[in-house]
Amino acid sequence: MSTAAPKRPAGPARLTWRTRLRRDKSLLLMTVPAVVLLLVFNYVPLFGIVTAFQEYDPLVGVWHSEWVGFDQFQQLFGDPAFWASMKNTLYLSFVQLVLFFPIPIALALLLNSVVSERIRNFFQSVVYLPHFFSWVLAVTIFQQMLGGAGVLNQFLRQHDIGTWDIMTNPHTFALLVTSQAIWKEAGWGIIVFLAALSAINSELYEAAAADGAGRLRRMWHITLPGLRGVIVLMLVLRLGNALSVGFEQFLVQRDAVGHEAADVLDTFSFYYGIATGGYSYGAAAGLFKSVVSLLLIWGANKLAHAFGEDGLYRR
Amino acid sequence: MRSGLNRRSFLTTAATVAGAAAMAPLLSACGGGSDKKAAANTKEGLKAALPAYVPNANAVKPDIASVQGAGDAATDPAYLSYPASPPTSVSGVPGKGGSYTAITPLWGTAPPVGNSFYQAMNKALGVELTVKPTDGINYNTIIPTMTAAKKLPDWINLPSWLNSNFNTGGLVGTQLADLTPYLSGDNIKKYPNLAALPTGAWQHGVWGDKLYGIPCFSTGFGIPGATFYRRDILEARGITADQIKSADDLMNLGKELTDAKRGVWAFDDVWTYLQFAWNVPMKWRVDNGKLVHPFETQEFLEALDWHNRLATSGYMHPDALAGDVSNGSTRFYSGKTLIGGGGLGAWNLSDQQSGAAADPNYRRGAFNAITADGKGTPVIYMGAAASMISYLNAGLKPAQIEELLAVANYLAAPYGTAEYTMVNYGVEGVHHTRVNGAPTFTEEGKKDVQVTTYSFLAASGSVISNPGGEQVTRDYAGWSAANVKYLTKPPFWGMNLSMPQAIASADAAQNVNDTIKDCYHGKKKVSDVQDAIASWRSGPGERLKQWMTDNVLNKYGTGQ
Amino acid sequence: MTNVLTMGTRGEKRRAATAAARRRARSARPPWDEPPTAVGQAAKGLTLGGMLAVILVPLYIIVLTSFSTPGAINRAGGLVIWPDGLTTETYRQMLSDSTIITALGVSLGITVVGTAVSMAVSVLCAYGLSRPRSLGHRFVLLLLIITMFISGGLIPSFLVVTGLGGYGQWWALILPSAVSVFNILVLRAFYQETSSELIDAARMDGAGEWRILWSVVLPTSRAVTAVTALFYAVGYWNSFFNVMLYMPTDSEKWPLQYVLLTYVNRANGLPGSVNSGFGQTHAQTAPLSLQMAVVVLTLVPLVIVYPFVQKHLRTGVLTGAIKG
Repeated sequence: MSTAAPKRPAGPARLTWRTRLRRDKSLLLMTVPAVVLLLVFNYVPLFGIVTAFQEYDPLVGVWHSEWVGFDQFQQLFGDPAFWASMKNTLYLSFVQLVLFFPIPIALALLLNSVVSERIRNFFQSVVYLPHFFSWVLAVTIFQQMLGGAGVLNQFLRQHDIGTWDIMTNPHTFALLVTSQAIWKEAGWGIIVFLAALSAINSELYEAAAADGAGRLRRMWHITLPGLRGVIVLMLVLRLGNALSVGFEQFLVQRDAVGHEAADVLDTFSFYYGIATGGYSYGAAAGLFKSVVSLLLIWGANKLAHAFGEDGLYRR
Repeated sequence: MRSGLNRRSFLTTAATVAGAAAMAPLLSACGGGSDKKAAANTKEGLKAALPAYVPNANAVKPDIASVQGAGDAATDPAYLSYPASPPTSVSGVPGKGGSYTAITPLWGTAPPVGNSFYQAMNKALGVELTVKPTDGINYNTIIPTMTAAKKLPDWINLPSWLNSNFNTGGLVGTQLADLTPYLSGDNIKKYPNLAALPTGAWQHGVWGDKLYGIPCFSTGFGIPGATFYRRDILEARGITADQIKSADDLMNLGKELTDAKRGVWAFDDVWTYLQFAWNVPMKWRVDNGKLVHPFETQEFLEALDWHNRLATSGYMHPDALAGDVSNGSTRFYSGKTLIGGGGLGAWNLSDQQSGAAADPNYRRGAFNAITADGKGTPVIYMGAAASMISYLNAGLKPAQIEELLAVANYLAAPYGTAEYTMVNYGVEGVHHTRVNGAPTFTEEGKKDVQVTTYSFLAASGSVISNPGGEQVTRDYAGWSAANVKYLTKPPFWGMNLSMPQAIASADAAQNVNDTIKDCYHGKKKVSDVQDAIASWRSGPGERLKQWMTDNVLNKYGTGQ
Repeated sequence: MTNVLTMGTRGEKRRAATAAARRRARSARPPWDEPPTAVGQAAKGLTLGGMLAVILVPLYIIVLTSFSTPGAINRAGGLVIWPDGLTTETYRQMLSDSTIITALGVSLGITVVGTAVSMAVSVLCAYGLSRPRSLGHRFVLLLLIITMFISGGLIPSFLVVTGLGGYGQWWALILPSAVSVFNILVLRAFYQETSSELIDAARMDGAGEWRILWSVVLPTSRAVTAVTALFYAVGYWNSFFNVMLYMPTDSEKWPLQYVLLTYVNRANGLPGSVNSGFGQTHAQTAPLSLQMAVVVLTLVPLVIVYPFVQKHLRTGVLTGAIKG
């Protein structure tokens, strides 16, 4: 993917701006519709950010609310609840990265190695379905299976084995939400990787096999490099989204494990901002998150470059 | 990556609610005027704006009459049967052929547009009224978007518990019509069915000393809820409600009734409605002319301590402790929980039918109000006397307002009248037939008639009536009659306060309330709550109290 | 087996041979692949079987609950695990509702038009950004990526759309969410992998960028096209929040998901303390069965459409080789 076309062998420095424009104007033209839509529907509404610097009061509106500068941020950074939710977010993000991120890739590889088309199709058309359940439903199902009065614990109770408190235990909450996420999203997550796998030319496998490369070596030298572009893209985006670990999932289970274990940045902005009328406070938390996320994606991209990958854009 | 793929995932009820709450108050910014309204009503201004009260002579006599309590408190009259030949309360056709649109919240599925019920209603009302029942769950998001886009209909219902989302206080006068000239004092006598609505209910439609709202389903028994129990199961074990006189009695019941191995726990969540047993104030108490917040009282801590013990006792259902409220009623029906708090709206025929589907003996009961120590007089704080309030558009001409008020008068016809039958059950033979005397929907009626479509624009006072479920009516009426004497108005009752945002946030006390919930779910100690309260009191709590004292208590009093 | 081996060559009988090879490739192990070990097979079977079980059991519970009587649900105290009383009443009631048919049409319309618009915009943009060292691509990328992380919030967006006259208009359901930067990035990642020999060959033949996109890149990346189209279609099919914002009171304009949502919402009932007058009319159906029926109904179109996407996930290479 890094070999440049013969017509454009030189780096940008060798060509003038005009030459490049003439060469690339149709490419630029192609991006126009998307850019216009984003400008109108994403960039224009950015004026809403000003509320983070106000003591916003809906009774008087955006233009008449009191301007408070960085007061909201000052209050935010002095709020223990904010830092607690930050800690939870980062911890959960780490756990998800380690335990959740590789699973769709592994599943896609596993599925790809299944020879029977019938089994493969059946598996594929089942595992993606939980993605379409709401978190309310997903958590209800978990509760009914593993909850204090669920199938498992009633069985244990009736046989006097003691009970297993997983649904309301704040200490194991990170593992709980990660396994829920795996259950709900892993099957949907494999789709992109399957698409990438299907784009690998099977002649390569054939040639490698002819050269005597075994299954593992073929995976290492053909499959993984074929997936590399997508994996790096997903990884960079995941790192950029490190402060987004989910919202509804935590909202639904907040009462079960208590707010100290369940509050993440997004639920913090919701409960301490919007839900209780602290709009500006919530907006400040949101803006902080946006800025950190942008820094993170920039960092992740740098990291990708350091490993010789392109990341989101070329160095 | 998950967030990328999930961006538009669906059926996410909680997220909708969250998004909705996120959206609503912010949007109202765009609709309302930028001037701040008065925080409440003055005593004199209120008096001048309120309509006269003239009881309706045409009303059908109830089978169980209303029982008066202190102040405006009274139980709803109860009916065991439906009049065989409904009397008329409105002569002629109220409308003059005007065309209007109306929006009401609907907790259910919208009937087909332009259906036969709508047509029949338009004929009866003499107007072209296009009703648009709108998703009730997301109403708090939808209405602010309409006010922002300046698309309010001619007539709209704005439930009072959403007033802060809608910024109703800012909409009155600018987008909602002032009805004072048409309805205040004796003016209302032109509309006898509206005049028969109790004065306390009208009070909820008064903003800044002017009358804007028409109350629907007014009641003298608007209380938040009660502690319910499975009367069939408890009585089978020889337990009756009158044996429960104190919090200890309840706790003992927990021990007696819980059988975890069989999957039965005595209690579901009871905190919300049971805390009054400790005489915890509702929002505020006035001691020697000074405001006291519930968080500042010893009673509150004692109530919390008891609930914390309950949560850790093993008598509460694990799902309740896990914060699962959505399956609360099915737990109750299935007998997996036997005691639980809830709103009084649950006590009706459909509840009886749902319960009986699981267990033919099913019978709902409610414990009488108690005091925690079993001594003294219990207290039940009164909620709104009407929570469904409708408003007319400020852009309407006086003649149009009068026409719609005449329509409202038709819609507010009392129970059992011909008009009431039409509004609630449609046309006999088309939308309903009489089964054992009780109006029962036909297939067409089930599809087209949503009871609340017109009733949320105007309706007579609440009644207890469950055609085909006489026992439910008797149980509920009996319980109301036994408890009406405990009803007390809390300070600032019915004052339609408008708070600035920072004060409203302080009032919400998110961190304290989170800790309280964790405490009565057994995850935090009472001392943790005390810590949270202490830090709240030193900052937001103090500001809240100061604001309430300066802007409400000292200016308007407690409203009583 | 020789058919498979000749796949790469460009013989006369290529077309016929490919068809046969494709048939065979579906069911047979490639000749160069080693036979599996017993342990490996067992581990694979256990993993896949375990995953299937933890998903099929809840699916079974959901479907069962949707077919359960109110009595069965209330006896179970929640989702039904063991069959108790079965009925099709819930489905009968929902599907006999005339508004459902209108809503289905609306949903299909929005999904088809929306997906078409989104795909057109995204494919163009992704390709426009996928050529190495093209002018300004980093700037445009940056412009795109920023929107993934920073937003003015719901309200300002609503005000912009309303300000453009979008209140009550169909386009308000499509244009504001027509661009998914995530999808563009995925498309771009695949386009970057498109064999540069093919592109160069086309360029030598005098093809411009539009032609290259149309006759080289698109045909060789059908898998990712199918996948992103699926992502978009699912998004449009499931979206209801915009409906709530822009056409909340026009029930004849509601898509299926929003109508279904009102069935679910019925279950939540009235808040507050209003007692009489409600709940005495249509309360025969257990709300939970309705909710689960809604879940099942939303899964049905996916189950119907997914195999078409799946087809592209498997055959991407072979068709690519032919067209290339």
